[in-house]
Amino acid sequence: MSVLGMPTGMFLVFVATLVAGSLGTAHYVIVHVIMGQPVEENIREEPPSEVGGDV
Amino acid sequence: MSSLGLGVLQTGTGDVNPAYLGVFVVYLVGVLAIGAWAYLKTDDVSDYWVYGKELGPTLATWSYVANFVSAVSVIGFVGSVYGGGYSIVTGIVFGLMLGISGLYFVVHKVRELNHITFPDIIAELTGREVARPITGGVLLANAWVYLIMQLVGAGLLVTTITGVPYQYMIWVIGGVFILYTVMGGLVSVAWTDLAQGTLMVATVALALGYMVFDLGSLTSLNQQFMALDPANVAPLGDGAYTLIGVAASIVAFFGTIFTSQATVVRINATDSIRTAKFHLAAAGFILSVFYVMLVMLGAGTTVGLNGAGLAVENVDRAFPVLIMEYVPTTVGTIIIVAIMSGILSTTDTRLHACGVTAAHDLYDYFVDGGADDEKLLLVSRVSTVGFGIVATAAAVNPPGTIISLYNWRAILLTSALLVPVYVALYYRDTSGKAVLASIVLGALSGPGWNALGEPLGAPAAFVGVGMAIFGLLVGRYAWEDTPAASPGAAPSDD
Repeated sequence: MSVLGMPTGMFLVFVATLVAGSLGTAHYVIVHVIMGQPVEENIREEPPSEVGGDV
Repeated sequence: MSSLGLGVLQTGTGDVNPAYLGVFVVYLVGVLAIGAWAYLKTDDVSDYWVYGKELGPTLATWSYVANFVSAVSVIGFVGSVYGGGYSIVTGIVFGLMLGISGLYFVVHKVRELNHITFPDIIAELTGREVARPITGGVLLANAWVYLIMQLVGAGLLVTTITGVPYQYMIWVIGGVFILYTVMGGLVSVAWTDLAQGTLMVATVALALGYMVFDLGSLTSLNQQFMALDPANVAPLGDGAYTLIGVAASIVAFFGTIFTSQATVVRINATDSIRTAKFHLAAAGFILSVFYVMLVMLGAGTTVGLNGAGLAVENVDRAFPVLIMEYVPTTVGTIIIVAIMSGILSTTDTRLHACGVTAAHDLYDYFVDGGADDEKLLLVSRVSTVGFGIVATAAAVNPPGTIISLYNWRAILLTSALLVPVYVALYYRDTSGKAVLASIVLGALSGPGWNALGEPLGAPAAFVGVGMAIFGLLVGRYAWEDTPAASPGAAPSDD
Protein backbone atom coordinates (compact mmCIF):
# COMPACT_ATOMS: atom_id res chain seq x y z
CA MET A 1 0.00 0.00 0.00
CA SER A 2 1.31 3.45 -0.81
CA VAL A 3 0.42 7.04 -0.06
CA LEU A 4 1.58 9.82 -2.40
CA GLY A 5 3.67 7.27 -4.24
CA MET A 6 5.65 6.10 -1.21
CA PRO A 7 5.18 3.17 1.18
CA THR A 8 2.90 3.83 4.17
CA GLY A 9 5.81 3.44 6.61
CA MET A 10 7.79 6.21 4.91
CA PHE A 11 4.72 8.39 4.68
CA LEU A 12 4.19 7.98 8.43
CA VAL A 13 7.78 9.09 9.09
CA PHE A 14 7.04 12.30 7.20
CA VAL A 15 3.83 12.76 9.20
CA ALA A 16 5.70 12.10 12.47
CA THR A 17 8.30 14.71 11.52
CA LEU A 18 5.65 17.32 10.82
CA VAL A 19 3.91 16.47 14.10
CA ALA A 20 7.22 16.55 16.04
CA GLY A 21 8.01 20.04 14.78
CA SER A 22 4.49 21.25 15.43
CA LEU A 23 4.06 20.10 19.05
CA GLY A 24 5.08 23.50 20.37
CA THR A 25 2.92 25.23 17.79
CA ALA A 26 -0.10 23.18 18.80
CA HIS A 27 0.47 23.88 22.48
CA TYR A 28 0.93 27.61 21.90
CA VAL A 29 -2.18 27.92 19.73
CA ILE A 30 -4.42 25.84 22.00
CA VAL A 31 -3.24 27.08 25.40
CA HIS A 32 -2.18 30.68 24.78
CA VAL A 33 -4.35 31.69 21.81
CA ILE A 34 -7.60 29.69 21.95
CA MET A 35 -7.80 29.24 25.74
CA GLY A 36 -6.29 32.69 26.31
CA GLN A 37 -3.99 31.57 29.12
CA PRO A 38 -1.27 34.21 29.59
CA VAL A 39 2.42 33.33 29.47
CA GLU A 40 3.93 33.82 32.90
CA GLU A 41 6.46 36.64 32.59
CA ASN A 42 8.91 36.19 35.42
CA ILE A 43 12.14 37.43 33.89
CA ARG A 44 14.23 38.78 36.72
CA GLU A 45 15.48 42.35 36.56
CA GLU A 46 19.22 41.77 36.52
CA PRO A 47 21.16 38.51 36.63
CA PRO A 48 23.88 38.20 39.29
CA SER A 49 27.04 39.83 37.95
CA GLU A 50 29.21 37.06 39.34
CA VAL A 51 28.60 33.77 41.06
CA GLY A 52 30.47 31.98 43.84
CA GLY A 53 34.10 30.94 44.01
CA ASP A 54 36.01 28.90 41.52
CA VAL A 55 36.80 25.27 41.86
CA MET B 1 24.49 11.66 4.36
CA SER B 2 26.87 13.10 1.91
CA SER B 3 30.28 14.65 2.27
CA LEU B 4 32.22 17.41 0.67
CA GLY B 5 35.48 15.96 -0.54
CA LEU B 6 38.39 18.38 -0.59
CA GLY B 7 39.07 17.64 -4.21
CA VAL B 8 35.71 19.07 -5.13
CA LEU B 9 36.75 22.49 -3.89
CA GLN B 10 39.02 23.10 -6.80
CA THR B 11 36.09 23.73 -9.09
CA GLY B 12 35.63 26.98 -10.89
CA THR B 13 35.50 26.38 -14.55
CA GLY B 14 36.69 29.79 -15.54
CA ASP B 15 33.44 30.27 -17.48
CA VAL B 16 31.87 33.09 -15.50
CA ASN B 17 28.07 33.09 -15.70
CA PRO B 18 27.15 36.81 -15.84
CA ALA B 19 23.48 36.28 -14.84
CA TYR B 20 24.29 34.26 -11.72
CA LEU B 21 27.27 36.43 -10.82
CA GLY B 22 25.13 39.58 -11.19
CA VAL B 23 22.47 38.23 -8.87
CA PHE B 24 25.10 37.29 -6.33
CA VAL B 25 26.72 40.74 -6.42
CA VAL B 26 23.33 42.45 -5.93
CA TYR B 27 22.67 40.12 -3.02
CA LEU B 28 26.00 40.96 -1.34
CA VAL B 29 25.44 44.69 -1.80
CA GLY B 30 21.97 44.28 -0.23
CA VAL B 31 23.23 42.59 2.92
CA LEU B 32 26.04 45.14 3.23
CA ALA B 33 23.46 47.94 3.07
CA ILE B 34 21.52 46.32 5.91
CA GLY B 35 24.80 46.06 7.85
CA ALA B 36 25.48 49.77 7.38
CA TRP B 37 21.97 50.65 8.54
CA ALA B 38 22.29 48.35 11.56
CA TYR B 39 25.58 50.04 12.48
CA LEU B 40 23.66 53.27 12.99
CA LYS B 41 21.13 51.45 15.17
CA THR B 42 23.77 49.83 17.39
CA ASP B 43 24.47 52.11 20.33
CA ASP B 44 26.03 49.83 22.90
CA VAL B 45 27.28 46.32 23.64
CA SER B 46 23.77 45.14 24.59
CA ASP B 47 22.50 46.06 21.11
CA TYR B 48 25.46 44.30 19.54
CA TRP B 49 25.19 41.12 21.59
CA VAL B 50 21.45 40.67 22.16
CA TYR B 51 19.61 43.42 20.23
CA GLY B 52 19.10 45.31 23.49
CA LYS B 53 16.87 42.36 24.53
CA GLU B 54 14.12 43.82 22.37
CA LEU B 55 13.82 41.13 19.71
CA GLY B 56 10.14 40.80 18.78
CA PRO B 57 8.24 37.68 17.63
CA THR B 58 8.56 38.12 13.85
CA LEU B 59 12.28 38.94 13.82
CA ALA B 60 13.05 36.23 16.38
CA THR B 61 11.14 33.58 14.42
CA TRP B 62 12.66 34.27 11.02
CA SER B 63 16.11 34.82 12.44
CA TYR B 64 15.89 31.38 14.04
CA VAL B 65 14.57 29.79 10.85
CA ALA B 66 17.26 31.39 8.68
CA ASN B 67 20.04 30.46 11.08
CA PHE B 68 18.79 26.88 11.27
CA VAL B 69 19.16 26.11 7.57
CA SER B 70 22.87 25.69 6.97
CA ALA B 71 25.18 24.55 4.20
CA VAL B 72 24.76 21.06 5.59
CA SER B 73 20.99 21.35 5.32
CA VAL B 74 20.92 22.61 1.79
CA ILE B 75 23.81 20.98 -0.04
CA GLY B 76 24.19 18.03 2.30
CA PHE B 77 20.52 17.12 2.71
CA VAL B 78 19.69 17.33 -0.99
CA GLY B 79 22.88 15.39 -1.75
CA SER B 80 22.05 12.86 0.94
CA VAL B 81 18.60 12.23 -0.52
CA TYR B 82 20.27 11.90 -3.92
CA GLY B 83 22.64 9.28 -2.56
CA GLY B 84 20.62 7.58 0.16
CA GLY B 85 16.94 8.37 -0.22
CA TYR B 86 14.49 9.54 2.40
CA SER B 87 16.14 7.76 5.37
CA ILE B 88 17.72 11.07 6.42
CA VAL B 89 14.27 12.14 7.61
CA THR B 90 14.09 9.26 10.08
CA GLY B 91 17.42 9.80 11.78
CA ILE B 92 18.21 13.50 11.55
CA VAL B 93 15.26 15.68 10.55
CA PHE B 94 12.87 13.98 13.01
CA GLY B 95 15.37 14.45 15.87
CA LEU B 96 15.91 18.13 15.01
CA MET B 97 12.18 18.88 14.84
CA LEU B 98 11.48 17.06 18.09
CA GLY B 99 14.26 19.12 19.64
CA ILE B 100 12.69 22.45 18.63
CA SER B 101 9.39 21.44 20.19
CA GLY B 102 11.19 20.12 23.26
CA LEU B 103 13.02 23.43 23.71
CA TYR B 104 9.69 25.26 23.40
CA PHE B 105 8.49 23.52 26.57
CA VAL B 106 11.55 24.49 28.65
CA VAL B 107 12.54 27.82 27.11
CA HIS B 108 11.00 29.85 29.95
CA LYS B 109 13.56 28.30 32.30
CA VAL B 110 16.34 29.77 30.14
CA ARG B 111 14.81 33.19 29.46
CA GLU B 112 13.72 33.92 33.04
CA LEU B 113 17.36 33.82 34.17
CA ASN B 114 17.92 36.87 31.93
CA HIS B 115 21.49 36.04 31.00
CA ILE B 116 23.23 36.52 27.65
CA THR B 117 25.16 33.36 26.83
CA PHE B 118 25.06 29.65 27.60
CA PRO B 119 28.21 29.82 29.78
CA ASP B 120 26.47 32.53 31.87
CA ILE B 121 23.75 30.04 32.67
CA ILE B 122 26.18 27.23 33.44
CA ALA B 123 28.26 29.50 35.67
CA GLU B 124 25.15 30.33 37.69
CA LEU B 125 23.93 26.75 37.87
CA THR B 126 27.30 25.46 39.03
CA GLY B 127 28.10 28.46 41.22
CA ARG B 128 31.53 28.56 39.62
CA GLU B 129 32.94 31.27 37.37
CA VAL B 130 35.47 28.81 35.97
CA ALA B 131 32.58 27.11 34.18
CA ARG B 132 32.39 30.18 31.95
CA PRO B 133 35.74 29.83 30.09
CA ILE B 134 35.49 26.02 30.07
CA THR B 135 32.13 25.93 28.30
CA GLY B 136 32.92 29.13 26.40
CA GLY B 137 36.02 27.50 24.97
CA VAL B 138 34.09 24.42 23.86
CA LEU B 139 31.32 26.50 22.30
CA LEU B 140 33.80 28.84 20.62
CA ALA B 141 35.68 25.96 19.04
CA ASN B 142 32.39 24.47 17.89
CA ALA B 143 31.10 27.74 16.44
CA TRP B 144 34.38 28.50 14.71
CA VAL B 145 34.73 25.11 13.04
CA TYR B 146 31.05 25.22 12.10
CA LEU B 147 31.76 28.62 10.55
CA ILE B 148 34.53 27.13 8.40
CA MET B 149 32.14 24.50 7.09
CA GLN B 150 29.53 27.10 6.18
CA LEU B 151 32.11 29.11 4.26
CA VAL B 152 33.25 25.97 2.47
CA GLY B 153 29.66 25.15 1.48
CA ALA B 154 28.94 28.71 0.34
CA GLY B 155 32.20 28.97 -1.56
CA LEU B 156 31.65 25.65 -3.29
CA LEU B 157 28.13 26.54 -4.37
CA VAL B 158 28.95 30.02 -5.60
CA THR B 159 32.06 28.81 -7.39
CA THR B 160 30.08 26.11 -9.17
CA ILE B 161 27.34 28.43 -10.32
CA THR B 162 29.28 31.60 -11.11
CA GLY B 163 32.49 30.08 -12.44
CA VAL B 164 34.66 32.32 -10.25
CA PRO B 165 37.50 30.19 -8.79
CA TYR B 166 36.92 28.99 -5.23
CA GLN B 167 40.09 30.52 -3.76
CA TYR B 168 38.89 34.01 -4.76
CA MET B 169 35.21 33.56 -4.07
CA ILE B 170 35.77 32.34 -0.50
CA TRP B 171 37.48 35.65 0.39
CA VAL B 172 34.72 37.72 -1.18
CA ILE B 173 32.06 35.86 0.82
CA GLY B 174 34.10 35.85 4.04
CA GLY B 175 34.93 39.57 3.68
CA VAL B 176 31.35 40.73 3.13
CA PHE B 177 30.00 38.69 6.02
CA ILE B 178 32.70 39.77 8.44
CA LEU B 179 32.05 43.39 7.47
CA TYR B 180 28.32 43.47 7.99
CA THR B 181 28.36 41.31 11.12
CA VAL B 182 31.02 43.46 12.73
CA MET B 183 29.11 46.61 11.85
CA GLY B 184 25.73 45.81 13.29
CA GLY B 185 26.06 42.71 15.50
CA LEU B 186 22.74 40.98 16.23
CA VAL B 187 20.81 43.92 14.76
CA SER B 188 22.43 43.19 11.38
CA VAL B 189 22.11 39.45 11.79
CA ALA B 190 18.42 39.54 12.78
CA TRP B 191 17.30 41.87 9.97
CA THR B 192 19.28 40.11 7.24
CA ASP B 193 17.94 36.82 8.61
CA LEU B 194 14.38 38.10 8.28
CA ALA B 195 15.00 38.85 4.60
CA GLN B 196 16.98 35.67 3.99
CA GLY B 197 14.66 33.35 5.91
CA THR B 198 11.45 34.37 4.17
CA LEU B 199 13.16 34.32 0.78
CA MET B 200 14.59 30.89 1.42
CA VAL B 201 11.36 29.20 2.49
CA ALA B 202 9.38 30.77 -0.34
CA THR B 203 11.85 29.84 -3.05
CA VAL B 204 12.42 26.26 -1.89
CA ALA B 205 8.62 25.89 -2.09
CA LEU B 206 8.79 27.40 -5.59
CA ALA B 207 11.59 25.06 -6.64
CA LEU B 208 9.72 22.03 -5.34
CA GLY B 209 6.59 23.26 -7.13
CA TYR B 210 8.59 23.49 -10.36
CA MET B 211 9.97 19.96 -10.00
CA VAL B 212 6.55 18.51 -9.09
CA PHE B 213 5.04 20.21 -12.17
CA ASP B 214 7.95 19.06 -14.31
CA LEU B 215 7.68 15.44 -13.16
CA GLY B 216 3.88 15.27 -13.30
CA SER B 217 2.78 15.22 -9.65
CA LEU B 218 4.09 14.54 -6.16
CA THR B 219 2.89 10.95 -6.41
CA SER B 220 4.62 10.56 -9.76
CA LEU B 221 7.82 12.10 -8.33
CA ASN B 222 7.84 9.57 -5.47
CA GLN B 223 7.00 6.65 -7.76
CA GLN B 224 9.88 7.54 -10.07
CA PHE B 225 12.14 7.99 -7.04
CA MET B 226 11.17 4.50 -5.84
CA ALA B 227 11.63 3.06 -9.34
CA LEU B 228 15.26 4.21 -9.32
CA ASP B 229 15.84 2.21 -6.11
CA PRO B 230 13.20 0.89 -3.67
CA ALA B 231 15.60 1.71 -0.79
CA ASN B 232 15.07 5.40 -1.59
CA VAL B 233 11.66 5.34 0.08
CA ALA B 234 12.45 2.93 2.95
CA PRO B 235 12.55 4.58 6.42
CA LEU B 236 15.80 2.78 7.29
CA GLY B 237 17.24 2.85 3.78
CA ASP B 238 16.31 -0.81 3.31
CA GLY B 239 18.90 -2.03 5.82
CA ALA B 240 21.47 0.73 5.34
CA TYR B 241 20.74 1.93 8.89
CA THR B 242 20.01 0.04 12.11
CA LEU B 243 17.32 0.96 14.59
CA ILE B 244 19.85 1.65 17.35
CA GLY B 245 21.93 3.82 14.99
CA VAL B 246 18.88 5.84 14.04
CA ALA B 247 17.87 6.17 17.70
CA ALA B 248 21.35 7.49 18.58
CA SER B 249 21.19 9.95 15.71
CA ILE B 250 17.81 11.20 16.91
CA VAL B 251 19.20 11.72 20.44
CA ALA B 252 22.32 13.52 19.17
CA PHE B 253 20.46 15.94 16.91
CA PHE B 254 17.66 16.44 19.42
CA GLY B 255 20.30 17.56 21.92
CA THR B 256 22.01 20.07 19.63
CA ILE B 257 18.87 22.19 19.62
CA PHE B 258 19.22 22.74 23.38
CA THR B 259 22.95 23.32 23.48
CA SER B 260 23.73 25.79 20.72
CA GLN B 261 25.24 29.09 21.85
CA ALA B 262 23.55 30.93 18.96
CA THR B 263 20.15 29.59 20.03
CA VAL B 264 20.64 30.56 23.67
CA VAL B 265 21.86 34.05 22.73
CA ARG B 266 18.79 34.54 20.52
CA ILE B 267 16.44 33.32 23.28
CA ASN B 268 18.02 35.83 25.66
CA ALA B 269 17.62 38.58 23.05
CA THR B 270 13.83 38.20 22.99
CA ASP B 271 11.73 40.90 24.60
CA SER B 272 9.66 38.50 26.74
CA ILE B 273 9.07 34.85 27.63
CA ARG B 274 6.01 34.99 25.40
CA THR B 275 8.21 35.91 22.42
CA ALA B 276 10.76 33.26 23.39
CA LYS B 277 8.00 30.62 23.33
CA PHE B 278 6.32 32.03 20.23
CA HIS B 279 9.46 32.02 18.10
CA LEU B 280 10.13 28.35 18.80
CA ALA B 281 6.48 27.40 18.32
CA ALA B 282 6.32 29.16 14.96
CA ALA B 283 9.80 28.10 13.82
CA GLY B 284 9.07 24.44 14.65
CA PHE B 285 6.11 24.44 12.30
CA ILE B 286 7.87 26.42 9.54
CA LEU B 287 11.02 24.31 9.69
CA SER B 288 9.23 20.96 9.72
CA VAL B 289 7.31 21.96 6.58
CA PHE B 290 10.51 23.40 5.07
CA TYR B 291 12.56 20.24 5.63
CA VAL B 292 9.84 17.99 4.24
CA MET B 293 9.84 20.20 1.14
CA LEU B 294 13.64 20.17 1.00
CA VAL B 295 14.01 16.38 1.06
CA MET B 296 11.27 16.05 -1.54
CA LEU B 297 13.19 18.56 -3.63
CA GLY B 298 16.14 16.21 -3.17
CA ALA B 299 14.01 13.38 -4.56
CA GLY B 300 12.93 15.59 -7.46
CA THR B 301 16.57 16.45 -8.11
CA THR B 302 17.49 12.76 -8.18
CA VAL B 303 14.71 11.84 -10.58
CA GLY B 304 15.27 14.90 -12.77
CA LEU B 305 19.04 14.46 -13.15
CA ASN B 306 18.88 10.71 -13.74
CA GLY B 307 16.10 11.15 -16.29
CA ALA B 308 18.08 13.81 -18.16
CA GLY B 309 21.30 11.80 -18.21
CA LEU B 310 22.95 14.26 -15.81
CA ALA B 311 23.71 11.81 -12.98
CA VAL B 312 26.59 12.95 -10.76
CA GLU B 313 29.17 10.89 -8.95
CA ASN B 314 29.73 13.25 -6.02
CA VAL B 315 26.28 13.66 -4.47
CA ASP B 316 27.11 17.15 -3.20
CA ARG B 317 27.22 18.33 -6.77
CA ALA B 318 23.65 17.18 -7.40
CA PHE B 319 21.97 20.42 -6.48
CA PRO B 320 24.39 22.79 -8.23
CA VAL B 321 24.10 20.65 -11.37
CA LEU B 322 20.30 20.78 -11.16
CA ILE B 323 20.47 24.57 -11.04
CA MET B 324 23.07 24.91 -13.76
CA GLU B 325 21.96 22.35 -16.28
CA TYR B 326 18.40 21.22 -15.62
CA VAL B 327 16.16 24.16 -14.71
CA PRO B 328 15.75 27.33 -16.81
CA THR B 329 18.11 30.19 -15.91
CA THR B 330 15.31 32.28 -14.37
CA VAL B 331 14.23 29.52 -12.01
CA GLY B 332 17.87 28.66 -11.31
CA THR B 333 18.65 32.25 -10.37
CA ILE B 334 15.80 32.34 -7.86
CA ILE B 335 16.89 29.05 -6.32
CA ILE B 336 20.47 30.26 -6.01
CA VAL B 337 19.42 33.32 -4.05
CA ALA B 338 17.39 31.11 -1.72
CA ILE B 339 20.16 28.64 -1.14
CA MET B 340 22.77 31.32 -0.59
CA SER B 341 20.41 32.96 1.87
CA GLY B 342 20.19 29.74 3.84
CA ILE B 343 23.90 29.20 4.00
CA LEU B 344 24.97 32.76 4.67
CA SER B 345 22.36 33.48 7.33
CA THR B 346 23.90 30.61 9.30
CA THR B 347 27.37 31.97 8.63
CA ASP B 348 26.61 35.40 10.08
CA THR B 349 25.00 33.92 13.19
CA ARG B 350 28.04 31.72 13.91
CA LEU B 351 30.35 34.67 13.29
CA HIS B 352 28.34 36.76 15.72
CA ALA B 353 28.36 33.92 18.29
CA CYS B 354 32.17 33.76 18.05
CA GLY B 355 32.45 37.48 18.84
CA VAL B 356 30.05 37.31 21.78
CA THR B 357 31.70 34.21 23.26
CA ALA B 358 35.22 35.61 22.91
CA ALA B 359 34.37 38.94 24.55
CA HIS B 360 31.70 37.98 27.08
CA ASP B 361 32.70 34.47 28.15
CA LEU B 362 36.47 34.53 27.77
CA TYR B 363 37.89 38.09 27.77
CA ASP B 364 35.59 39.40 30.50
CA TYR B 365 36.41 36.39 32.69
CA PHE B 366 40.15 36.83 32.36
CA VAL B 367 40.03 40.56 33.18
CA ASP B 368 37.85 39.64 36.17
CA GLY B 369 34.81 41.55 34.95
CA GLY B 370 36.85 44.75 34.83
CA ALA B 371 36.10 45.71 31.23
CA ASP B 372 33.61 48.47 30.53
CA ASP B 373 30.93 48.19 27.83
CA GLU B 374 32.95 50.14 25.30
CA LYS B 375 35.93 47.84 25.71
CA LEU B 376 33.73 44.72 25.46
CA LEU B 377 32.12 46.02 22.26
CA LEU B 378 35.56 46.63 20.80
CA VAL B 379 36.76 43.15 21.80
CA SER B 380 33.61 41.64 20.26
CA ARG B 381 34.19 43.42 16.98
CA VAL B 382 37.92 42.72 16.84
CA SER B 383 37.41 39.03 17.67
CA THR B 384 34.62 38.78 15.08
CA VAL B 385 37.06 40.08 12.46
CA GLY B 386 39.87 37.88 13.75
CA PHE B 387 37.87 34.65 13.87
CA GLY B 388 36.24 35.48 10.55
CA ILE B 389 39.57 35.98 8.77
CA VAL B 390 41.14 32.86 10.27
CA ALA B 391 38.01 30.82 9.45
CA THR B 392 38.04 32.10 5.86
CA ALA B 393 41.73 31.25 5.56
CA ALA B 394 41.02 27.76 6.93
CA ALA B 395 38.12 27.37 4.51
CA VAL B 396 40.50 27.79 1.56
CA ASN B 397 41.84 24.35 2.45
CA PRO B 398 39.42 22.98 5.08
CA PRO B 399 40.49 20.42 7.70
CA GLY B 400 37.66 17.95 7.07
CA THR B 401 34.35 17.24 5.46
CA ILE B 402 31.18 19.09 6.36
CA ILE B 403 29.24 16.08 7.44
CA SER B 404 31.93 14.49 9.60
CA LEU B 405 32.13 17.72 11.59
CA TYR B 406 28.37 18.07 11.70
CA ASN B 407 27.97 14.65 13.31
CA TRP B 408 30.96 15.07 15.63
CA ARG B 409 29.65 18.40 16.85
CA ALA B 410 26.21 16.94 17.56
CA ILE B 411 27.78 14.22 19.70
CA LEU B 412 30.02 16.70 21.56
CA LEU B 413 27.32 19.25 22.39
CA THR B 414 24.65 16.73 23.34
CA SER B 415 27.01 14.56 25.41
CA ALA B 416 28.55 17.48 27.28
CA LEU B 417 25.70 19.87 27.89
CA LEU B 418 22.20 18.47 27.41
CA VAL B 419 21.75 16.42 30.58
CA PRO B 420 23.71 18.39 33.21
CA VAL B 421 22.47 21.83 32.19
CA TYR B 422 18.79 21.06 31.75
CA VAL B 423 18.62 18.82 34.83
CA ALA B 424 20.24 21.61 36.86
CA LEU B 425 17.75 24.15 35.47
CA TYR B 426 14.91 22.13 36.96
CA TYR B 427 16.66 20.82 40.08
CA ARG B 428 18.46 23.90 41.32
CA ASP B 429 19.90 22.15 44.39
CA THR B 430 22.06 19.95 42.15
CA SER B 431 25.71 20.10 43.21
CA GLY B 432 27.76 22.50 41.07
CA LYS B 433 30.68 20.09 41.14
CA ALA B 434 28.40 17.30 39.93
CA VAL B 435 27.23 19.44 37.01
CA LEU B 436 30.82 20.27 36.03
CA ALA B 437 31.88 16.62 36.41
CA SER B 438 28.98 15.57 34.21
CA ILE B 439 29.94 18.14 31.55
CA VAL B 440 33.57 17.02 31.50
CA LEU B 441 32.66 13.30 31.48
CA GLY B 442 30.16 13.78 28.66
CA ALA B 443 32.54 15.97 26.64
CA LEU B 444 35.34 13.42 26.89
CA SER B 445 33.41 10.17 26.52
CA GLY B 446 31.04 11.01 23.62
CA PRO B 447 33.62 12.34 21.13
CA GLY B 448 36.22 9.93 22.57
CA TRP B 449 34.02 6.91 21.86
CA ASN B 450 33.38 8.30 18.40
CA ALA B 451 37.13 8.65 17.81
CA LEU B 452 37.61 5.01 18.82
CA GLY B 453 35.20 3.97 16.10
CA GLU B 454 32.27 3.23 18.43
CA PRO B 455 33.47 -0.14 19.87
CA LEU B 456 30.95 -2.86 20.81
CA GLY B 457 28.46 -1.29 18.46
CA ALA B 458 27.49 1.27 21.09
CA PRO B 459 26.68 4.65 19.50
CA ALA B 460 28.86 7.53 20.77
CA ALA B 461 25.82 9.70 21.57
CA PHE B 462 24.46 7.02 23.92
CA VAL B 463 27.85 6.57 25.60
CA GLY B 464 28.33 10.33 26.01
CA VAL B 465 24.86 11.00 27.37
CA GLY B 466 25.10 7.87 29.56
CA MET B 467 28.38 9.03 31.08
CA ALA B 468 26.97 12.50 31.65
CA ILE B 469 24.05 10.97 33.57
CA PHE B 470 26.48 8.75 35.50
CA GLY B 471 28.63 11.76 36.43
CA LEU B 472 25.61 13.70 37.59
CA LEU B 473 24.26 10.84 39.73
CA VAL B 474 27.60 10.00 41.34
CA GLY B 475 28.43 13.67 41.86
CA ARG B 476 25.07 14.35 43.44
CA TYR B 477 25.81 11.84 46.20
CA ALA B 478 29.55 12.46 46.45
CA TRP B 479 29.40 16.25 46.87
CA GLU B 480 27.20 18.13 49.22
CA ASP B 481 27.88 21.66 47.90
CA THR B 482 25.17 23.69 46.28
CA PRO B 483 25.33 26.35 43.58
CA ALA B 484 25.57 30.00 44.49
CA ALA B 485 22.34 31.73 45.36
CA SER B 486 20.72 33.62 42.54
CA PRO B 487 19.89 37.11 43.73
CA GLY B 488 16.71 38.33 42.23
CA ALA B 489 15.99 35.04 40.52
CA ALA B 490 12.41 33.92 40.43
CA PRO B 491 12.55 30.47 38.91
CA SER B 492 9.17 29.09 37.96
CA ASP B 493 7.83 25.90 39.50
CA ASP B 494 6.80 24.09 36.33
